[in-house]
Amino acid sequence: MAMTSSSTHFAIAAPLLSSLPAEAAPSITQEGVHVRDLENMHAKVAGTLEKLKKQVQADRQMYIKMRVESNREQLKKYTEELAKLNNSPKQLSKGQELEGLESLCLHNEQVLGNLSNTDESGDKDGKSGPDESNLDKLMPIIFGSCLPGAKTAVRPLKLPKVENVPPYTTWIYLDRNQRMTEDQSVVGRRRIYYDSDGNETLIASDSEEEDAGEEDDKEEAKHEFTKGEDSIIWMAVQELGFSPMLLEELAALVGTKHEDIEARYDILLREAEKKVDTRLQEIKVPETCNVVKSLSPEDKQTQPKDLLAAMDSFDNLFCRRCLVFDCRLHGCSQAIVHPSERQQPWSNIEDGIPLPCSKHCCLLILPSDSGRNFVQTDALAGLKVNKRKQDLLKSSQKQQDLSSSQNEDGDDLDTEHKRSRTTSGGEIAPSSYRQGVLDSTSKETVESSQKTTQDRGDRPVDVGSDKLSSKWLCLTRDKHTEGSDKVEGGFPLEADSKELILSKKNNVPAPLSMDSEEETRTNVSARGKGKVEVANNWTMLEMGLYEKGLQIFGKNSCLIAKNLLKGFKSCAEVAQYTLEQEASGDGPDGVRRCTDSLDIDAQNRARMYGGRRKGRVRKLKYTWKSVVHPLIRKRMANGKDQPCRQYTPCSCLFTCGKQCPCLLNGTCCEKYCGCSKSCKNRFRGCHCAKSQCCSRQCPCFAAGRECDPDVCRNCWVGCGDGTLGGPAVRGDSYDCRNMKVMLKQQQRVLLGRSDVAGWGAFLKNPVGKHEYLGEYTGELISHREADKRGKIYDRENSSFLFNLNDQYVLDACRKGDKLKFANHSPNPNCHAKVIMVSGDHRVGIFAKERILAGDEIFYDYRYEADRAPIWAKKQDDPNQKVQDLPTTSGRARKLPEGKPF
Amino acid sequence: MALKAAGPAQATAAKPGGVGMEPVVGSLTAGKKNREYKVTNRLLEGKRPLYAICFNLIDSRFHNVFASAGCNRVTVYQCLTEGGAVAVLHAFIDEDKEEEFYTVSWAVGDNGSPLLACSGSNGVIRIVDCGKGSFLKSFIGHGDSVNELRTQTLKPCLIASASKDESVRLWNVNTGVCILIFAGAGGHRNEVLSVDFHPSDILKIASCGMDNTIKIWSLKEFWSYVEMSFTWSEIPSKFPTKYVQFPLFNALVHSNYVDCTRWLGDFILSKSVDNEIVLWEPLYKEPGITANEGKVDVLQKYPVPDCDIWFIKFSCDFHFNTLIIGNRDGKVLVWEAQTSPPTLIAKLSHSQCKSPIRQTATSYDGSTILCCCEDGCIWRWDLVS
Repeated sequence: MAMTSSSTHFAIAAPLLSSLPAEAAPSITQEGVHVRDLENMHAKVAGTLEKLKKQVQADRQMYIKMRVESNREQLKKYTEELAKLNNSPKQLSKGQELEGLESLCLHNEQVLGNLSNTDESGDKDGKSGPDESNLDKLMPIIFGSCLPGAKTAVRPLKLPKVENVPPYTTWIYLDRNQRMTEDQSVVGRRRIYYDSDGNETLIASDSEEEDAGEEDDKEEAKHEFTKGEDSIIWMAVQELGFSPMLLEELAALVGTKHEDIEARYDILLREAEKKVDTRLQEIKVPETCNVVKSLSPEDKQTQPKDLLAAMDSFDNLFCRRCLVFDCRLHGCSQAIVHPSERQQPWSNIEDGIPLPCSKHCCLLILPSDSGRNFVQTDALAGLKVNKRKQDLLKSSQKQQDLSSSQNEDGDDLDTEHKRSRTTSGGEIAPSSYRQGVLDSTSKETVESSQKTTQDRGDRPVDVGSDKLSSKWLCLTRDKHTEGSDKVEGGFPLEADSKELILSKKNNVPAPLSMDSEEETRTNVSARGKGKVEVANNWTMLEMGLYEKGLQIFGKNSCLIAKNLLKGFKSCAEVAQYTLEQEASGDGPDGVRRCTDSLDIDAQNRARMYGGRRKGRVRKLKYTWKSVVHPLIRKRMANGKDQPCRQYTPCSCLFTCGKQCPCLLNGTCCEKYCGCSKSCKNRFRGCHCAKSQCCSRQCPCFAAGRECDPDVCRNCWVGCGDGTLGGPAVRGDSYDCRNMKVMLKQQQRVLLGRSDVAGWGAFLKNPVGKHEYLGEYTGELISHREADKRGKIYDRENSSFLFNLNDQYVLDACRKGDKLKFANHSPNPNCHAKVIMVSGDHRVGIFAKERILAGDEIFYDYRYEADRAPIWAKKQDDPNQKVQDLPTTSGRARKLPEGKPF
Repeated sequence: MALKAAGPAQATAAKPGGVGMEPVVGSLTAGKKNREYKVTNRLLEGKRPLYAICFNLIDSRFHNVFASAGCNRVTVYQCLTEGGAVAVLHAFIDEDKEEEFYTVSWAVGDNGSPLLACSGSNGVIRIVDCGKGSFLKSFIGHGDSVNELRTQTLKPCLIASASKDESVRLWNVNTGVCILIFAGAGGHRNEVLSVDFHPSDILKIASCGMDNTIKIWSLKEFWSYVEMSFTWSEIPSKFPTKYVQFPLFNALVHSNYVDCTRWLGDFILSKSVDNEIVLWEPLYKEPGITANEGKVDVLQKYPVPDCDIWFIKFSCDFHFNTLIIGNRDGKVLVWEAQTSPPTLIAKLSHSQCKSPIRQTATSYDGSTILCCCEDGCIWRWDLVS
């Protein structure tokens, strides 16, 4: 339908356009025109425009006529078909169906036939009609103004009373909170209610809303030109030439500014030229046309130029917090936070000698020593060495000695080093949960400390630190190789590396992160080059993938080739490329580059998506300023409740300074922040061993947070017996009980008719005190939005708003789960609590006491005293009479439980 | 009943279409008025308002049978040819005195008997068998009142209900299952007032309501469920009812409540409280482009003076030739629906008919017009030949 519409429309517009000469519009400059000429011109312009307008309107009428006509034809065909269809079953069932309504109809006809001869004794119509009070009475069966009524009657059939379900607005189940999409907003939109009591229609608008509307109008002031307007503009210019007067007249006609007309004309001109061009091309060179066509598919298949472009959708659509695409909670185009600390390259080599990954493996092609190096350089350090931890401790002690002896290099630096060292020693465990490997590799520490030194090297810091770091780096390295020697026994590399380390020690200003292995490799590369011939035809994309591979796997060519460059490059090629890179690079090696590339990535991205990000920030600021609810602030100041502040990850490097957004906002830094684990503002998690984290002794619990296996030391959930590398199931009494919202360990909730009002939520199984029942999910909306929606909800006396934090309110009206139907009670058996779960605030409903199976769930909505509806008002609670609350225009909203249990 | 008696709500002028996109507006004076209708009957059902009246156009045996709804009663009548006589065939009364029926629609049972679906303030849909004169079943599910029921003419066992609970539901009257629920992320944001099936494309449904939008829904991806409903033999509540969350098309044609929408071929007739019925064409999005609001081409307008309150519904005859609507003052306008420009065929008024006409019903060929009024009257007009 749409197709035909546009094509027919075009058919009408086409003659207008095609009648125009193909050459560019003549621009007539009118100099020295007389006044009379001017007037004449004016009249001429006006006349022509009027003529054109009439023509366009006539065309439009023709068009509509044609469309309506064609629609009528189609519809007629169809209705006639349907009429036939309707007639056919009649023939079929006529025989059997006679005793039904049909017979009744026939009977009526007969009755009427008999009645027409009787006298006018019946009731007049209207008077005979029953009114609602005596509906059960017999009804006369025939009404007629000119005919007498009949004596025969019909007895009404009673429909048994059926009670409907309690009222509700259709809602969609949500298993996790969602942020409101823009089109769901009611802000700035007119909403009309009818007041069923006052019999009147009201339009919901207040000054604020109108302002918003005006703003919107201003923004979308851009006029959309119709085809008719286009043709008027085009024809008028063709006929009268391009003059300011014409522009003014056109602008008045179309109802827009003359600049717009001018711009539009340019567009039309270009389109017309393009049309002529393509026509010419088609006529002139049909042969080349084919060539062009054959080429074009290839052009279309352009590969993304580099990795950054290829990763665009990943960067913009993938949520790094929820690990899903198109996250409905945190949205698309999130600001990307790069962690200051990276995970160490992953390695799959656990045993001594690596096996070749394929027939193109560098192990087979490159000379054995160097080949092995490519696979093992990182694995070497990653070998499972339990003793190494002890070694490390020793080494770090040594370092400490060393660094203290170097105090003259700068005190502050030294202390920083100390901290990084201690944290790297102490806080290794968390990330291991995800990997399923608990052994904290000493290498990680080395890597991280390396990186800290490197990055410090990037910054303008005094050279002393470089010296220092390189020294202790070498020292640790030294220790390491020793350690590995002890375990693994003779490694062909060992002698080399020791030598090199020694040499490094001697000439201090050597490139600081140069590994011993790399140097061997550079030596080897000369030999290797002769054997494998790799053309240096790496595309930007492949190079980008390689860089990423370095970050993920380290210099393990097998893994890089297998996982990232499959089908592009073989392992040997990757190894060769590494060699070339190192040989050509004047100083920085792979590891160094990979951290560099991280920064470059970030910079590039900032450049690429600068606009987008800027928009975000501005928006956030806006909500920050205007939306923070005065009442919430009050609650904050009282300090009774946990500070419910929306958390947004900061992108600080290493340690957060005073300008850290998290710090300024009053939230803790979380694992999603860019800062390192040593950041002072980080929430450190708990170390609870046996307490199950369900009392205020657990710091997580006390802070209104759920434990996080990534952060807390002893909180995780195991499965299996540990043979697969994962943590084993611990005794039931040891499991952390403070992760239930995250793990969705909730109770089965049933929906039913409440004993109190409307719907109610009921428990299927009995639960004990403090048990987690489920989450109150909904749409995350701003406070501004909530105020607008609340007005409507309060009018209907059913509100599903729940205050979440300073930025968001949960609205479960159209999206939520069954717990939205849990009713209010001043003496409830449950309570609601806002909990921080992995950086997000969520609402959990917890049992306040033992609840039996089938019992209805109640909790205190804790509406502010001045806003509560009558049914939620407290009669004589002194605590609720806090009258210093600002009387705002806000609406009744549920609040979480304030006092901890 | 205060509902639906709402006074005029001022409406902002609809956006002008721009030069070359103007709709053709029918003239109230220039019409040839070549047809004459005469009042032939007036029935008073009671003092309570009548909200719905509907001819049975889906079964050719009963083209002269119609039903009216109001209060807690639904009455089935037969239009007799002679002298405008009307015969009562059945009357159904809900035992619940609070119930107020807002809408009726005809359907066909699996044995071919004429069924009547009716619903109202309670939100329960009642199905009665007019052939046997018996009560069949109730559909419970809507969370609030039902404002309109419509039947799919191609599959007359499918009915759609538009409800105050912001959803449209699709039911199978034979197997008693709720097949689909049209609501959710892209659904209506306020009461749904009207719904209609596309006359030839079985996969399309239009709905409109108090959120000022008209939405076109596609059943394409859900047709298998409709198929499944025909043969469903288990208890209806076990049926895997699906939510249709996103409409195919979302149109903002009016700036106030949209209380009636009907397909006219591939175009849509809809009305708000702006004293006019609008004929417009949805310009479906090209695939790949996702805009919030679809573009519409407003083709024609049928002015209806003094028609600025909501819940006034119009009707068409079987072939969609005439378009008939009553107004706030009890007058009836008969428009030629499918001519351009639209022509006014007749303007009907009677000195005693003063109360708002909530709905009209047009017989198969358009020769009989029925109007149900706020004051509980049914007026019958017949074409003078």
